[in-house]
Amino acid sequence: MISALKRQDNWTLIGLFITLLMLIALFSWQSEFFFTTRNFINIGQAISIRGLIAIGLTVVMIAGGLDLSMAAVAAVAGMVTASLITLEVNSVLVGVLGIAAAGVLGSFNALLIVKFRINPIIATLGTLLFYRGLAFVSTGGDNIVIGVNAWSELGRGSWLGAPITVWLFLAVVVLGMCFMRFTVAGNHLYAIGGNSEACRNVGIRVDRLRGWTYVAQACLAGLAGLMLTSQSGTALPSALNGAELDIIAAVLLGGIALSGGRGGLLGTLLGLLIIGVVQNGLILLQVQIYWQSVVRGAILIIAVTLDSLRRGGGYR
Amino acid sequence: MRLSNVSKAFGQVKALVDVSLDLRAGEVVGLLGDNGAGKSTLIKILSGNYHADEGSFEYQGRPVTINRPADAQALGIATVYQDLALVETRSVAHNIYLGREPRRFGYFMDRRKMERDANVMLEELNIRLASQKTDVELLSGGQRQAVALSRAIAMGGNILLLDEPTAALGVEQTQQVHHLITGMRRQDKAVVVITHDLSDILDITDRIAVLRQGKLWAYAPSSETTTNQIIGWITGVAPPHVRNGAVEMNNGSDQ
Repeated sequence: MISALKRQDNWTLIGLFITLLMLIALFSWQSEFFFTTRNFINIGQAISIRGLIAIGLTVVMIAGGLDLSMAAVAAVAGMVTASLITLEVNSVLVGVLGIAAAGVLGSFNALLIVKFRINPIIATLGTLLFYRGLAFVSTGGDNIVIGVNAWSELGRGSWLGAPITVWLFLAVVVLGMCFMRFTVAGNHLYAIGGNSEACRNVGIRVDRLRGWTYVAQACLAGLAGLMLTSQSGTALPSALNGAELDIIAAVLLGGIALSGGRGGLLGTLLGLLIIGVVQNGLILLQVQIYWQSVVRGAILIIAVTLDSLRRGGGYR
Repeated sequence: MRLSNVSKAFGQVKALVDVSLDLRAGEVVGLLGDNGAGKSTLIKILSGNYHADEGSFEYQGRPVTINRPADAQALGIATVYQDLALVETRSVAHNIYLGREPRRFGYFMDRRKMERDANVMLEELNIRLASQKTDVELLSGGQRQAVALSRAIAMGGNILLLDEPTAALGVEQTQQVHHLITGMRRQDKAVVVITHDLSDILDITDRIAVLRQGKLWAYAPSSETTTNQIIGWITGVAPPHVRNGAVEMNNGSDQ
């Protein structure tokens, strides 16, 4: 935590933390149901699945990339695992193949961006539509109901009073923070996001490392898809449709620069918590669903504005 | 390092014609010339980014080839480009050791050793920074130039090629870089400085090489040269003048 504070723009993190505390105070004051253990567990559960994808996206963006297809990858992984479960494939193999399928989709993203030099926004916008289409085509648009199975414990079980999904998410956050902070590869990803040409000049394998970030991102999205499917007992081709914007908003809000090279996973965690608390609070206050969309849009605008300020404004 | 009769053409345009130069340890050579004179082409050939059409290279008396940047790096040739190629969002220490970070257990970065080594290097070069942990984006132009030079030296460079090292700097920062260049000389490095700035060039260099229309137009000791002479050579008003070092290698008419 301390080393992460040193790495990140400290003021961004402190600002995010204060914002989070203020939001918690506000919603606690407005709703008697907000400041309860049960509700905090709900918030944790709500952000953990999207959070896994956000962790992968954070690493991709630190290296100067972007991935819009992550939610569609999670949907495809969910469909693959559900199909395999209905075919009564060995449960361990189901998990491995589901995540591997997501990894293949991530490799295709990497191929387009790293080998064919297609702008990441354009490339992953295309694969977003392609993968989402695949998820629908695979069943003709139908859901796959799997009910209770060997993987149900992953999505529905709990440990020490908190859902396993939350523990898994926190474990990935900690592992990710250690990787980015302490390993040579993690530090190279920061450097690549800062100046990829300078990294090439000194012999860092820029394309290879960037490519791996898309594969890792897709594998985390695959794990999220597996968790979502096991949680609901149903694989939906429309799973997480539209979640991309919330995830990008959380990452940008957390201090990751669109231009790369800045920010960290602690910031993303705070960004996720802020968005999770706002969404939960608005539901508890029974705010009309259309207003919830307005608020989500406002958060995205604030996040992008903060990113712009960080690159050219007072944050420097 | 000796370059003999190096030529390079881009289509019909002759960028370098029969250029010969000696680069000696502990000497600073000022490479001057108008835009399009061939300075950058020569630097890019020496750094392995361009392949010479003709000519040969000798390093410590033995013939060598420079076909790609890795060949130049293996010979100890380090280039500091005009844009410096620094990662602004990383610390001074990481920039100096970028791509060659000290490791622990193969995969982990030994940050303490990297920062300690960077500190020693900066002290040796008499570069004063608030901290080697500072991100490069917070440094002044002169300090960034110093970091880029430190990296070139940390790469084990014996021959340093500096492309317009003071182009975007103020007076004080320029002095700082000049001080560093003379420090390189004391460390027995061979330094080539490309510059348009004639104000201090005679003070910081041992020899002056002027390129004009791709040819070595003048090559003379700095101590025997005046600024007006240099301007005459750059503009072509003064006749070719090649002495000490390149005489025997350059084409006969220039002698």
